[in-house]
Amino acid sequence: MTKAPWLTRPRMAAAALVLLGLLGLPPLRHALEAGMTTHMLVQFPLLALCGAALANALPARWRARCNRWNAYGVSGLLAAALVLAVLMIPRVLDLALVDARVEAAKWLALLVCGAALRISWRAAGLLVQGFFLGNVLPMTVVAGHLFQDTPVRLCNAYLLDDQVRLGQWLVGLAACVATAWFAQVLRAMTRQGGAAAIVTAPASPGSR
Amino acid sequence: MFRTALLCVGLALAGYASAAWLTHDFQVWTAEGARRLEVALRPIATPDVTIDGPEIVKQPLNRLLADGRTVTVVDFVYTRCQTVCLSLGGVMQQMQAALRQDDAASRAAPVKLLSISFDGSHDDPPVLQRYAARLNADADIWRFVRVPDPLDTQRLLNAFEVVVVPDGRGDYEHNAALLVVDRQGRLVRVFDYSEQQLAIDYARHLAGQP
Repeated sequence: MTKAPWLTRPRMAAAALVLLGLLGLPPLRHALEAGMTTHMLVQFPLLALCGAALANALPARWRARCNRWNAYGVSGLLAAALVLAVLMIPRVLDLALVDARVEAAKWLALLVCGAALRISWRAAGLLVQGFFLGNVLPMTVVAGHLFQDTPVRLCNAYLLDDQVRLGQWLVGLAACVATAWFAQVLRAMTRQGGAAAIVTAPASPGSR
Repeated sequence: MFRTALLCVGLALAGYASAAWLTHDFQVWTAEGARRLEVALRPIATPDVTIDGPEIVKQPLNRLLADGRTVTVVDFVYTRCQTVCLSLGGVMQQMQAALRQDDAASRAAPVKLLSISFDGSHDDPPVLQRYAARLNADADIWRFVRVPDPLDTQRLLNAFEVVVVPDGRGDYEHNAALLVVDRQGRLVRVFDYSEQQLAIDYARHLAGQP
């Protein structure tokens, strides 16, 4: 991974804490949660990003301890998939607005999701990554289509056109992630000669 | 590997448990579905708010609803509405016609209709009066009220879990529905406004009970 020398892990973690603090400020939180699309496609990824940056700064010893419970990144990716699946239940978005416990759980779950992805992704290798994406992306597309096609509002707090827009974005996002990942698989195969790369190689550096 | 498998099982169980909690054991997926289910399981008492309207003096909403004999089908509206309230108005008209027939056949199961405006600052009694006239509302069956105090309005909406969202074009989007309130002034069931027959039958059933 090419990166600027000043971009050390502790600095990224500190930046993540600052971002987390900003996201927690009531005006910004309410602004992001005022729209369904910004709630799910801006706040959610930013929280996961914070989680990833924080996990990145874990000392090597802690990492090793985590890895014992996380062979081939399987537990981490399962945790991330479960978090994403549960957060796609439309009721969560409404509840998060009115119930502080649900809001707190949502934040924690997204931080864990980001951290789990960061810790597990490379260890998973292409095969396990493929399995993870093969579950999460179709689920996202189905949810996206549902948001677009249903004539009723799924969330009481959000407008129908916002819901349709979110649905379109979810489908588009799933397509982009699938394409990007597949391009990376092809690159790994070209580099290491054939499909064996999928089984043997951990994901090439440069992946997240 | 064993530890990973163990953790995975734990995670799967936690995921299942949270999904089951959120969806009331996989019965509902939306907040509206959960609201309807929760109301059916645990009726909600009318909060202590003051209302007024055409030919209705200022009084607690509870006094109007909990008269001990009438079952009321309530809907929430605002008179400037151009969208869902219009179809809701049509639904209420049809229910009014059905209730009139009940009266004519002197099967006078006391079921009444009540439209509550959540736009209290605009929908004062004269505005409501004109709105009612436009919808051919028969004041014996179908009445209109507003909640003058905005704080009271919010309390009522919160209690009945009516969510009103400004749509940015001067209108409001809200989870319009038919709310059945029993003789003790408790919200006991929420029906979709496409389920008017079900709503009125349920209200008649409640009203017909000894």
